[in-house]
Order: sequence, then C-alpha cells, then structure tokens
Amino acid sequence: MAVESFFEGLSIALSGEALLWLTAGLLLGIVLGALPGIGSPVGMAIVLPLTLPLDSTMALILLIAIYSGAMFGGSIAAILINAPGTESAAATTLDGYPMSKNGLAKNALAIATTASALNGFLGALALILISPVLIEVVLAFGSPEYFLLAILGISLITIVTQGSIVKGLVAGALGFMISTIGTGILSPRPRYTFGQFGLYDGIDFVAALIGMFAFAEMMKLAAMKQIASTDIELGGSIREGISTVFRYPKTTLKSGLIGMGIGMIPGSGATTSTFVAYAEEVRSVGKDGRFGEGDPRGVIAPEGANNPTVSGSLIPTLSFGIPGSGSTAVLLGGILMHGLQPGPALFSDELNITYALFISLFLGNFLIIAVGLTVIPYASRLTEIDTNIIIPVVVVLSFAGAYTLNQNWFDVTAVVALGVLGFYMVRYNYSIIAFVLGIVLGPIAEENFFRSLQISGGEYSIFIDPINRPLSFLLVLAILFILVGPFLKPYLERKIDRA
Amino acid sequence: MSIKTRYKNATAEHIMLVFLIALSGIFLVEPVVQNYPLDARIFPQSTAAVVFVGSVLLLAQNYLPKPVYTFVAESISVTSTTAGDDQESTEDDEELTEGDEESTDERTPRLGEEYGVEINDTVFMVITSVLYLLLGWAAGLFFITLPFVLLYTLWFRIPWYIGVGLGLIATAVIWFFMTFLILPFDQGAVFDFSPFLPFVIDGMTITLERAVETRVI
Repeated sequence: MAVESFFEGLSIALSGEALLWLTAGLLLGIVLGALPGIGSPVGMAIVLPLTLPLDSTMALILLIAIYSGAMFGGSIAAILINAPGTESAAATTLDGYPMSKNGLAKNALAIATTASALNGFLGALALILISPVLIEVVLAFGSPEYFLLAILGISLITIVTQGSIVKGLVAGALGFMISTIGTGILSPRPRYTFGQFGLYDGIDFVAALIGMFAFAEMMKLAAMKQIASTDIELGGSIREGISTVFRYPKTTLKSGLIGMGIGMIPGSGATTSTFVAYAEEVRSVGKDGRFGEGDPRGVIAPEGANNPTVSGSLIPTLSFGIPGSGSTAVLLGGILMHGLQPGPALFSDELNITYALFISLFLGNFLIIAVGLTVIPYASRLTEIDTNIIIPVVVVLSFAGAYTLNQNWFDVTAVVALGVLGFYMVRYNYSIIAFVLGIVLGPIAEENFFRSLQISGGEYSIFIDPINRPLSFLLVLAILFILVGPFLKPYLERKIDRA
Repeated sequence: MSIKTRYKNATAEHIMLVFLIALSGIFLVEPVVQNYPLDARIFPQSTAAVVFVGSVLLLAQNYLPKPVYTFVAESISVTSTTAGDDQESTEDDEELTEGDEESTDERTPRLGEEYGVEINDTVFMVITSVLYLLLGWAAGLFFITLPFVLLYTLWFRIPWYIGVGLGLIATAVIWFFMTFLILPFDQGAVFDFSPFLPFVIDGMTITLERAVETRVI
C-alpha cells in the first residue's frame, strides 16, 4: 500500500498544478522571508484563508512551499543587513553579516542557498524513507493517547520555550478554553455565545492564527525602527560560495542531522536548531575557527540546519497533530481547515497526500537553488522595503482573509482582539505557540477526551492503565516528568553531590 | 505599599492577567448559570480553572512563599540546571523592545506631529485598524480600504503616489475577494454604497493609469 501511495503522491507532486503552486509558494516564501519582521508564520497565516477554493493537497503544497522558501529567504536580510528576516535566520547573522562586510556577500548568500537546499534534499529524503516506520507508530495510537499527546505537546512547548512553566500552561489552557466557544462537540448546544448567532460556530482557529501571527507581528513591526538600507556592496563570487559548502561536507551533514532531529521535538523550531548547529560547529572547530568574523562554517551550520528542520517538524505535525513551531501550527490549521485530520488517516487512506507533500518538499529544493542563486544580485532590494508600506497591506489581507472563512465579522474582530493579546503575550514571555496549539487542538483534545471516557465507561483510569494501555501510561509519565522534572532536578543533583 | 502606588506600578502584564482572571471566571460560572450538561461543561471548566489559578498565581507571584514562587516565576528547563528569573528576562526583553523603537531624533516626523498630535506608532496602527474594521463593517471594506491605506502611509510620510498605488492595489485585492469568492465587501451593515461600485471602479482605473503615467514621465 505504501509503495502504491508513494507513486500516487509522486504523480500528484509532478502534476503541472502542483508544480505551479510549489513555485508560487517558494517565491512568495523567499520574498516574505527576506522582509525583516515578516517571515513564514505571518505569510502562511495570511495566505491560509485564500487557499479555501483550492484542492486540499494543492493548498498544503503551497503552504509548505512558503514555509520552505521563507526559511531560505530569511537568510538574505540576515546576511546583508544584519537583521534576520525570520527568527530562524538569527544565527546566520553571526558570520553571514561579517562576511558581507568583508566583501563576500555573494559567497555568503550562495553558501546559504546551497547548504539550505542540499540539506533540504536530505531532510525530505529522510522523511520519505522513515515514513513506513511512522505509519506503524501512528496506527498504535488511540483516543486516550491522542488526548494525552495534545497535553504533552503543550507541556513540551512550555519547557522548550524556556519561560515560566505556569505562563506556558496558562497560554495553552487559554487556547483550549477559547476553542470551546460555540456549539458543543458532544451535546449540540451553544456554549459561551451569549445569544450571538455569529458565535455559534465559535472563533475560527484560522482567524486566531491570523491574529496571533499576522496582526500581533504587525504591531511589533510598528514599534520597531525602519531598518536602514545597507551600504554593503554585493561583492564576492557565487561559484566560490557554492564550492565552499562542498569543502565542509562534515559540517553540512552534521547540521542537517541536528536540524532534522530538533525539528522533530514539538515546540523547538528552526530558531533552536540553527543556534544548536552553530554552537556545535564552534565547539567542534575550536580555536581554528574565526567565528563571528566571517567564518563560512558559521553560515553553513545554521543554514544547513534550517531546511531539514522543516522536514523534521512535519513528523509530529502530520503524525500526531503537534506542531513544532509557529509555521507548523499554521500548517496544521491548513490541514484541519481542508478537512484532513493529522494522525492515522494521513498515514493510511490519505497516505498519497502525505507522500505528495514530502516529494514536493524534496522538489522545492531544486527551486530554492535555481531561484536563490538567480536572485542573489537583486537580493538587497528586498530588504529595503519600508515596513510602513507592509503593515497596512497585511492588515487589509488579514481582515479580508478572516472574513472569508465564515463571512462573519466576529472572526475579523477576533483577529484584532487576539492580535493585541498575542502582542502582549510575546512581550511578557507567554508562549503563543502553546496558545495557538490549544486553539487548534482544543476540539480534537475534547473529542478524544470524551471518546476515551466513553470507552472506559466514565473511568479516568483509562489514562493511567499500565497493563491495558501502556502507551497512555507512558505519556502520563512523560507529562509529569516534563512538568515536575525541572524542579526536582536541582534537588536530586544536590543530593547526588552530597552523596 | 499603598493601593495608589500599586496601581501606579501596574504593567500591561498585570492588566492582561486581570483580564484573563475575569475571562476564565466567566467560563467557570456561565455553565453553572446556564445549566450546561456535564459533557458540555467539563472540558471548558477544567481549562478555565487552569487559566484562573495560573493567572492568580502569576499576579500574586511576589507574595508567594519561595517554593511556590520557584514554580510560578522561574524559568527552568529539563536541559539546563540554571534557574533564571522569568521576570528578569521579561524586563530584558522589554528593554530590547524599547531599544528597538525608533528614537525621535532619527525618525521622520509623523504627519500628526505637524498639527501637535503625537501618537505612539503601535497605538496608531491599532487605532487605525480598529477604525478600518468598524467602518468596513458599517460601509463595506471595498470603500474603506483606499482611505485606510492612504491615511496610514501619509501619516508615516510615505510619498503620496506610493500610498495611492498601494491603496489601489489593496482595493483591487478586496475586489478580487468580492468577485471570485463572492463576498459582499461592497455592502456595509449600516450604509450600502454598492450602487456606486461601477463609478468607483471606473474612477480607480483612471487614477491608476494617471499615477502610472506620472511615474513613467
């Protein structure tokens, strides 16, 4: 079945329509990624409602292409003006910008393109190869496990984002809470609608995603100063840049593995993986490196890690509905909006769609190389766009997009309200990923929670039954370990030291 | 510390937490008042309880005993042993955000400043967006988009022809939504300007042509 689905997926991914959306998405992603302050979650959130008329597979190919394109695009601004287009490109500034100042901007951009695309190939290939194993794992999960996975996902995010755990839990629970507005899942009765018919369908999670990622981000952008255009000239050689990547195969491969591995952990997106890859390179090279002064390995490492993170983060997103980052949270929103369910269905009946996505991701890297290397001479122009031009356009698109969802002004109001809330949540270190995950997974978690109770006849022990449901039991232990572990660790270490 | 001093020291985070406490309070009480069935109330009430308790703890964190304070306020991860105060990192972040803000010496004066009106850029963005939402609802997004984009760009001293061009593109996007997704963006809930639509589209085409000619010449 897997082989059959693979070839079906291949024919979908190679169709003219899929290639068109793939190209459009990558180009859009590169441009959005290159604009400081925009990045993939904002771009994907704005585009999401526009994909409504599209076929679900094409819509997801478009979203994944934007994600992948923005990962590379973010490095353009990082290298040329020392202002990462996306957070994931922050590590690239450390050596990318000094390279530009040393007259090697073209080398740095070519390194970023090649390392990003090369490891993107490997990441997508690894994803295709491990998918048969994933299918087995995913099919072992039932309702109690899916409910616990949603809780585990939020718990993991609170830990990985390294803020206060209580803040993370409040953010996640708030998301769950907001998702309960509207008609109940089991009892078809309106909840928290206060007599407003417009709230009977609840607050659309796509509107929440637009508010949290697009509107809140524009508020942040409005507060920031205009990034001045750079005086740096585009010096250096593209060809030399490409060959530099092949001179350091170990660095390239290692960063790819780090990117993919970290991408698989919910809550830890490319920002973490790129910094870990960079730090590992600095550690392994030691005193021989000129890191911070324009060492090419300082560009290869983060850029080699960013695209495989996309592949890695698709694993928990598609298999369990647990997104690894803001971008994958929006992607998950797209999956649900188009009537698909992450989990067993995507690895059984709809396996061809899953393969089409993986193959598109693989093909997208050819385009990153082709487009990336072509746009290098013009790259600096992208970074010179005034943010005050971007903001009103994003606001218009956000409002129009939110209204499109259900032709409901409550959704548009939710964009503004949740945008303002998101702005302050980010400012005070409340995880908006946990909040968004709560809103997106709320209905799934609630449904699986009650389905589990129906299976057990109302007994909560179904979640902690080590004999009949060992997987559930292990998940509960994992949640406890994540939430309580960090507080016990110092005490245990002190005890061990004393002993 | 007097209530007045505490009120003065309140940050936006405190206001947000009070809002979350009130909101979660509603989510806890409403099912009881409206007599929701058990399967419709368990999940929202459980999640609201987490929000309520968490927000109260965060709001009162400075008055909590040490072990509880550690759990509530400190940033600890499974991968690191160093426990940092989350409040400190937030303050650092705030400083960074403030540092990012354009100093008045470097930035171009806003349009309002000529008339003695000084508004923070983020506040201006939110106010104009809310106005755009309200007027879009009342009169239709199609008719309000151009004035909104024009006002926004002129406020930040972006050349008028860029503002007009951008406004027309944004209006064209709304028109695209109206035509291809069949959305009533030309009809407001209070005013219906849809009979004027053909005139507006003709006018826009002519203006766009002129704007392009001006730039080309």
